[in-house]
Amino acid sequence: MEFMPNFQLHRPETIEEALEARMDNDEALYVAGGTDMLVNVRRGIEQPKNLVDLSAIHGMKSITLNSEGLHIGAGVTLKELHGHEAVVKNYTAISHSAKAVAGSTHQMYGTVGGNLCLDTRCLFYNQSEWWRQSNDYCLKERGDTCHVAPGGKRCFAAFSGDMAPSMLVYEAEVDIAGEGSIKRVPLKNLYNNDGLDHLTLKPGELVTAVHLPQELAGDQSAYEKARIRGSIDFPLAGVAVRLRKSVDGTIEDLAIALTAVNPYPQIVSGLEGLIGTKLSEESAMQVRDTVRKQAKPMRTTTVAPWYRRRVIGAIAKRLLEELAG
Amino acid sequence: MSKKNHKTLLHCTVNGREHDDVVDDNTLLVDYLRESLGLTGTKIGCDGGECGCCTVLVDGQPRHACLTLAATCTDKDIVTIEALEVQGRLSALQRGFHEKLGAQCGFCTPGMIMAAEGLLRENPDPSEEDIRQGLAANICRCTGYVKIIESVQYAAAELKRTGKEVAA
Amino acid sequence: MNEIKPTRTIGVPQPLVDGPEKVSGKALYSADFLPNNCLVGRIFRSPVAHAEIIRLDISAAEALPGVRGIITGEDCDEPYGVLPIARFEYPMARDKVRYRGEPLACVAAVDVETAQKALDLIKFEYRELPAYFTSSDAMSEDAIDLHDHRPGNIEREVDYEIGDVDSALKDADMVLEETYNCPEICQVQTEPHAAIAEYDAERDYMTVRASTQVPFYVHIMLAKTLKMDQSQIRVIKPHIGGGFGCRTECLNVELMCALVARKAKGTVRLVVSREETFITHRGRPETDVKMKIGVKKDGTITAVDFQVIQRGGGYSGYGVVTILYAGSLVFGVYNFENARYKGLRVLTNTPPPGAMRGHGTVGVRYAFEALIDEISHRLKMDPIEFRRRNFLSAPTFTANDLMINSYGLPECLDWVEKESDWKTKKGNLGPYRGIGVAASHYLSGASKSVNWTGEPHATIHLKLDWDASITLLTGAPEIGQGSTTVITQCVAEVLGLDMTRIQSVTSDSKVTPKDNGAYSSRITFMVGNAAINAANNLKQVLIEAAARKLDCKPEDVECLGEVYRAASQDEGMTFEEVVLAALEGSGTITVKGNYDTIPESHGTKKYRGGAIGGSMAYAYSAQVVEVTVDPETAQVTVDKVWVAQDVGKALNPLSCEGQIQGSVWMGMGQAISEETVYHKGLGISGSMLDYRVPSFIESPPIEVGIIESIDPHGPFGAKEAGETSLSSFIPALTNAVADAVGVRPIDLPVTPDKLMELIEKRESGQKAAIK
Repeated sequence: MEFMPNFQLHRPETIEEALEARMDNDEALYVAGGTDMLVNVRRGIEQPKNLVDLSAIHGMKSITLNSEGLHIGAGVTLKELHGHEAVVKNYTAISHSAKAVAGSTHQMYGTVGGNLCLDTRCLFYNQSEWWRQSNDYCLKERGDTCHVAPGGKRCFAAFSGDMAPSMLVYEAEVDIAGEGSIKRVPLKNLYNNDGLDHLTLKPGELVTAVHLPQELAGDQSAYEKARIRGSIDFPLAGVAVRLRKSVDGTIEDLAIALTAVNPYPQIVSGLEGLIGTKLSEESAMQVRDTVRKQAKPMRTTTVAPWYRRRVIGAIAKRLLEELAG
Repeated sequence: MSKKNHKTLLHCTVNGREHDDVVDDNTLLVDYLRESLGLTGTKIGCDGGECGCCTVLVDGQPRHACLTLAATCTDKDIVTIEALEVQGRLSALQRGFHEKLGAQCGFCTPGMIMAAEGLLRENPDPSEEDIRQGLAANICRCTGYVKIIESVQYAAAELKRTGKEVAA
Repeated sequence: MNEIKPTRTIGVPQPLVDGPEKVSGKALYSADFLPNNCLVGRIFRSPVAHAEIIRLDISAAEALPGVRGIITGEDCDEPYGVLPIARFEYPMARDKVRYRGEPLACVAAVDVETAQKALDLIKFEYRELPAYFTSSDAMSEDAIDLHDHRPGNIEREVDYEIGDVDSALKDADMVLEETYNCPEICQVQTEPHAAIAEYDAERDYMTVRASTQVPFYVHIMLAKTLKMDQSQIRVIKPHIGGGFGCRTECLNVELMCALVARKAKGTVRLVVSREETFITHRGRPETDVKMKIGVKKDGTITAVDFQVIQRGGGYSGYGVVTILYAGSLVFGVYNFENARYKGLRVLTNTPPPGAMRGHGTVGVRYAFEALIDEISHRLKMDPIEFRRRNFLSAPTFTANDLMINSYGLPECLDWVEKESDWKTKKGNLGPYRGIGVAASHYLSGASKSVNWTGEPHATIHLKLDWDASITLLTGAPEIGQGSTTVITQCVAEVLGLDMTRIQSVTSDSKVTPKDNGAYSSRITFMVGNAAINAANNLKQVLIEAAARKLDCKPEDVECLGEVYRAASQDEGMTFEEVVLAALEGSGTITVKGNYDTIPESHGTKKYRGGAIGGSMAYAYSAQVVEVTVDPETAQVTVDKVWVAQDVGKALNPLSCEGQIQGSVWMGMGQAISEETVYHKGLGISGSMLDYRVPSFIESPPIEVGIIESIDPHGPFGAKEAGETSLSSFIPALTNAVADAVGVRPIDLPVTPDKLMELIEKRESGQKAAIK
C-alpha cells in the first residue's frame, strides 16, 4: 500500500462545475491525466486538501476544425493529438511533440492541458518528502535556499513540457475559464519567467482549449528534444521550428521556441533578419548562436547545463536546415 | 484505514466482474486492485509512473494503475493480467512470453503483457518499431528487450494464424 | 519396443518451468502476500550523512494509536554482514549514522497512514561529523575515521606482484597507461525489496518471506540478530523480481521486518520504495582504474601494472571480496606472467555497494580491453589479431593459479569477427560510424564459499513416491535466471524422463536442502552437478529394483527413461512398475546428490586473499558493437551487437541466449546512461526517471552465438552463462566510439555531454595545430 496524502476528490462533469469545485474548496488543485501531478502528490510536493479531477468533463475532449483553425480541447490526450490527421499534416511539430512526451502509456492518458500547465522541474524539487526534508527543502517549496544557485533569490526550475514550444511557434491561443467568463489569450501569455510561479493563471482559472490559427496551417515544422533515453525522459532541451518559405527557398516566416532550458517555454527573438533571405550555412550558424544565447539552462538535471545549451543550438540549426531543404 | 478519509462509491468492472466498493478518495487504482480485490498480478516497481509494471487496461487502453485514482474509474472497464487466460489456458501473448522467454524474473511481465495487449488490440500486425514504441513506457531489467519483441511477434503471428482477436 | 528412447532435454531450448505462473500473474512475489491483520512496516532513515546519535525519541510515535511496535538500534546489538571478517553493520544504526538514508528505526502499524504519522513523530538528535563522499576525501590526511577499527578509512588494501613487472615493462616495446573512472551504478531490479515476517509468539517461532538471492544467509543473520535459535526460524524465498547481486547478502530490510514483527508480536509486511531500494544499494562501487600494459612489437603482452580504488560506502558488505576480484580476475583471459596490483577499498559516507553482476571484474576488464584497443591501434594491428597473439592454451593454470580446463575465447572471437563482417567494416564505416571489439570472462561459482563449513558446495534431494513423480527439492534460489529449469533438465536427462515427471520445490528452509544461494554464477555448475549426482543415485536405485523384478544383474538393466528392460529382453517394465518395485519394503524414497569443488580450483597461495577468483571453470565472451554518433548532439546509438559466449555446453540454449542478451544490455546501461549521482551524500538519482536504465527505444538487436567448449568438470560440460558478457560490452562500445569519432571516451558513462566535450576538445586541438 502506497502512502498518499489525504484529500477529497471532486469529479465535475462540466467546466462550470470544475470552476465551482475549485473555488468552493480550500487548497484545491486541478488534475487532468495525472501523469505528473499524481507523482507530485505522492511525493508530498503537492498536498492538496481537494483535488478536482478533470477527466469526467466531456466538453474538453474533442479536436474540431473550422475556418479559423484547429481547436483542441484541453482534455484531449497526447495520443489522440499526435495521431490526428490535421495535426500531423498541418501542424507537424505538434504531432512530434505529443509523440515525444514520456512513453507511449503516458501519452494514452496525459492531456494537452496537463502538459501545457506542467509544473517546472528541478533535481532538488522532484524528490521524495524524506529527501527534500533532509535537504532543507528549496526556494520553490517550503525552503529559502535555491540549491541550483545558492544565494540567489530566483527559482530556476525548468519548464519541461514538450507541447508548449510547438504550440508557440504556431502562435496558439488558449481559452482560460475563470469566474464567469472564458477569455482567449496568446499561449505565450500563459507563462512567466519564474520557476516558482511560471503560470499566469489566477487561482481557480482553468485552461480549457487550445486554438491553432488557420493562416499558419500547413507551414512546415518540426520538434526535437535532447534526451538520454529514447523514451520516458523529460527533455534536457527541446526545440520547435516553424518555417514558411517561397518556391525558390526564400524564408517568408520563421518561428523557433524552446523548452527545458528556462523556467518557461521561450520564443526565440531576433530572427527577423532571416525573413526575405535564403538560409545559408552562415545564417544557420547565427540562428544556432542566437538560440544558445537565449537558452539559460541551469543545473536542474544531472546532465551538464553547458551541454544543454550546446545541444539546443545544434538541434535548432539542424531542424531549420532540414525544413529549409 | 483512517475513518476520516473522504470516500467515494466506486462502480466499475474488473476482469468482467462488476464491483461496487467504497474506496478512499486517495486510493490508487493499483492498491485497490492488489489490496481490495487481491489481484496481485499487477506489480509496483517504482514510486510513480516510471517502470510500467502496474500497467492495466482501462477502457481498453494501457494505463499506469499507480498514477490513477481508483475513484476516477467509475463506470470504467478495467482488465488486468489475471483476465487474459482463455479457458484456463495462456493467451497468445502469454504463451509468446512463456515460449520465447519474454519473461525471466517475471516482475515486469504483467505490465509488459498488458501494454502489449493494448498495442495488439489497436494494431494486430505491428512492426518491430511499433512494438518498441508501444512498449516504450515499460522497463525490463532482465531481457534486454530482445526476447520481448520476439514474444509479441509470436503472439501477433499466432493471432493472425488462428484468426482470433487478442484475449477479448 | 525397440523404438523406445530416453527423452533428451539437455541442449534443447526449454521455456522456463515456472514460466506459466509468471505470464499469468499468478506468481507470488514477497509483496503479494497479504495475510489478514498484517501490519505495515516503515523505516525511519537518517537525514544526515555522518553523525553521532545523541538521542532518538520514539515516545510520541509509540503513543500513537494504531502503532504496534517500534524498534531502533537499541533493539539489536548484533552486527550482521556477509563476511565473517567484516561484520560491523547493524540493522539500525546504534552509535553513529554513516550515510544518508541509513535506517534508525522501524515502525509497525495498522496501516500506512499511521505508520507514516509515527515516523513524523520520531525525533532524532545528532551531532554532525565531517562527511566524505569521495574516496580521495575519505583518504585525506585530516579525515576522521568512519569506524575506529578501520584507520584511514581503508577497508582493505591489496598489494601484490606476480613475476617481475618492472623488468618486463623494461623489455616491452610499447608501454601505455590510462586512468579510467567507472561511476557507481545500481542493479535496479524491477522488484523493490520486500519482506514479510510472521512471528508466532506462543512458540517463539519466526517465518520470513523475503526478496533475496541468499535465503540461507538471511536465515543465519536472522538467527544472529534476533538471537534466536536457528531451528526456530523458517525462511522462504517466493518468486523474486531479479537480483543481479543486490540481494546476495542479507539486507537490513528483512532483518528489520523480523525484529519489528517480534516486537509487535504479529505479522509485518515491509515493502520499501524504489528510492529506498536505491539507498539499500549494494550496487557496483565507483571504481577508478589506473592501468598500465607493456607489449612487444608482435603484440604479446609482457606485463600488466594496475591500481584500483573503490568507493566502498559506509560499511564493508562484500567489499573485501570485490577489491580482491578486481585484482585476481585480470588473469584468465590472456596469457601473461607478470602483473602488479594495488587495490584500495575505501570507506565513505555513501550507501554501501555490493556484489553486482560481474562482481569486481567490470571496471578492470573495461580498462584492460580499452587500453589494448589503443595499443593495437598504435601498433597498427587489428584488435582481434592482437588478442589472438595473447591467447591462453587450455588446460593450464594462469600465473595466479586459476585453473582453466576449457577456453573457447578463440572460437568466440572467430564467430563475432565473421558474423559482424568485421573485416569489411573496420575502418570503413564512414564518418561518425564505428565498430569495436572486446573480450571478457567470468567464473562459474566461487570455488571456496565465503562461509566455509566443510559441507559440500551443493546438495539436491529427489523424492520419489508411489505416484511415480519425482519431487526435486533444492535450496537454489530461482531468481529469474532459470535455475530451476536447468536443474530439472539435469535430472530429467540422467533419468531419460520427460521434464513433466519432475516437479520442484525450491528455497524453503524447512523443506529444501541448504543452498548457499544465487551468486557468482554458481548454480548451473555446482547445483547442476549435484542434480546429476542425485539423479544417478536415483537411477541406481531404480535399476536395482528393476533387476530384482527382471531377475537379472543391475548392470544388464537398460534404462530407457519410461521403460527399464534387461538388455536381452524385448519387453521390460514401465517406469511406474519400476517405481513400485523400488518402494517395496522401503516406502517413499529420497535420494541425495552432492557436489564439491576440487582443491586445484581454489586459487593461489601466492598472495593473501588468493582464493578469491578461484573457480572450477571460466566462461568466455567476445563481442562486436557497432555504433553511430550523432554529429550534432554527440548521442551514441548502438546499432547492433554480435556476442559469442563460450558457455561450455548450453544446457538450455533459450535461457543461455536470454542471459547473454541480458548481460550485454546491462553492460550497455553502464556504458551509456547509468550512474548514481549524489548531492552531499543524498542520492539524486533515486528514481527510474533520473537513474536511466535503457528503454526499449535505444536498446539494440543483440545477436548471440553460443560456443560450446565442453568443460571436463561442468554438468554435461556447462559453464556460467549469465555474467560473462556484461563487462566486454563496455570496452567494445568505447572502442567503437573511438573508431567512429577518432577520440576515445575514458570515463563512463559515455553520455552525450561527456562525448561532446571530448569531440570539441579534439576539434579545438586540431584547429590549434593547424594554426
